[in-house]
Amino acid sequence: MLAARYLFIVFFILAMLPANVAADIVVVVNAENEIDTLTKRQVIDLYMGRNAYFPDGTRTLRFDQPSDSTVRADFYHHLTQMKLPSINAYWARLIFTGRSSAPVPLSGDQEMLEVIENNKYAIGYLNKGSVNNRVKVVFELNSNEIE
Amino acid sequence: MRQYAFLFFAGLAVTLSTQIINASETVRDRFQVSSFGTLGISHAGKDQFGYRNELTHKGQFDKFSIFPDSVFGLQANAQLLPSLNATVQVLAEDQVRQNFNNIVDWAYLSYQPTPNTMIRGGRMGIDLFMLSEIRNIGFAYLWARPITEFYTPVSLSHFEGIDLKYTKNSELGYLEFKIYGGQTGSDIRVSRGDFSVRMRPIFGAIASMETNHWKTRATFAATHIDETRNTNLTRLLNALDQTPATIWPQAGAFSKLINGEGNQAYYYSIGLTYDKHDWLIQSEIAITDSAWPSVALTNGYLSLGRRVGPVTLYTVGSYAKSLRDSKTVSPRSSQSDINALQTITENAFNAVLINQNTISLGMRWDFHTKMALKAQWDHTWVRKNGGGLLILKEPLDHDITLNIFSLNLSFVY
Repeated sequence: MLAARYLFIVFFILAMLPANVAADIVVVVNAENEIDTLTKRQVIDLYMGRNAYFPDGTRTLRFDQPSDSTVRADFYHHLTQMKLPSINAYWARLIFTGRSSAPVPLSGDQEMLEVIENNKYAIGYLNKGSVNNRVKVVFELNSNEIE
Repeated sequence: MRQYAFLFFAGLAVTLSTQIINASETVRDRFQVSSFGTLGISHAGKDQFGYRNELTHKGQFDKFSIFPDSVFGLQANAQLLPSLNATVQVLAEDQVRQNFNNIVDWAYLSYQPTPNTMIRGGRMGIDLFMLSEIRNIGFAYLWARPITEFYTPVSLSHFEGIDLKYTKNSELGYLEFKIYGGQTGSDIRVSRGDFSVRMRPIFGAIASMETNHWKTRATFAATHIDETRNTNLTRLLNALDQTPATIWPQAGAFSKLINGEGNQAYYYSIGLTYDKHDWLIQSEIAITDSAWPSVALTNGYLSLGRRVGPVTLYTVGSYAKSLRDSKTVSPRSSQSDINALQTITENAFNAVLINQNTISLGMRWDFHTKMALKAQWDHTWVRKNGGGLLILKEPLDHDITLNIFSLNLSFVY
């Protein structure tokens, strides 16, 4: 009886745990970029190689987080519900069939900020807590969006 | 020696590509070199029945080998103008015929007049199935190798010509339409020796739709089999053509059946993939319609994968079956030379027919963002007179089963 109660409590705690404890992630562009917001679909299209242009027709320079980083895994999973191995294989298909060139990987939030600040057409993503006033947030992924 | 040369070439390719990529950030914007490869070991085949996963490979007769699954490639992309790019892909693998023509898999120019339109010209991957343009890039797909029943019968890797692609983002999803035309060919090995086939013209169309989790596509291709070359086949056809109808009335009909030249072939396929959270499903079915029994067949597969952390466990069921039945020459001639010719003809006809299916179990471990380790077991049932995908040292006059064990390391850089 005691064991049953113990198991019930453990299961209850596990069930109450959030599915993912990732921090919020934001998509950012240069502060001078005329784009103010992007839809989730537009962000997906940019980061899944289906489009390389901002809505106003200017070509984007897409930047990525380190290939094995948690923020990258969370970003793609939030957007597409696909796990990182699937994303890596997907991008290999796009690159080698000439459909798209991959977003350029950077070393982390700090380099992402530097690159976005210095290029009007750059777009990237980082942890919400790293944002400064020299970049503009155009889309926000909340951890509670996870399916 | 030739086999080790391609391993050396592959290592050199990887080293060079890394050095070039690291050489200059400025150069990287305009010129990119990528490499891919698979280092694999497998055990397959029987003493009399050689297994291969590509018709361009030699048979594997109950032996371990690193060559059937190992391939290395180097791809260079150069941006010549803002909308004009050049791409070259070279392959090092253990092919039946190693020459410059077969090593250069792609060499084309692509021009993008609008963001949604692309025109390419040169030698390009032939877009017949889901894995058409990535069949040598093991990292880009789940299994140890492209599904044998579905991919092996079509040994065409590239074509020379032009294609036009149009893409559109719609409410339905990401739509892609492509048409192409040109010529193609392949140097393969069959039970009767090395075989070359040239198809000209070939033209086709592809429509695909992609959403976040689903991708569906339909393809059509039509071609004219212009030229086939095989010494033993030529001898057999000459013998059949010179046999008087009064001695063997069906000799002429067999000659027409066995000779592929002048026939048309039509290829239709549909495919579907699903990838969400931890589930991966992929399926394709196809039919190749032709009066030439060697290529007329239907085939397909269904693959189901479940991701557990960095490991994906999967199972695949696949089949391939010729649209023509085997033949028995009857009545037999009492003349010994004609009787021998009838036996050779019957064996030659039946040796190209395909009737097999496979169940596969495997796992892929993505232990690195650019590398994956795969292990796979295939159990294949090959029916009597259905061994067209094998190298036969003797006629397949009974059902057989084959087991293929594979361990692969795939990478992209």
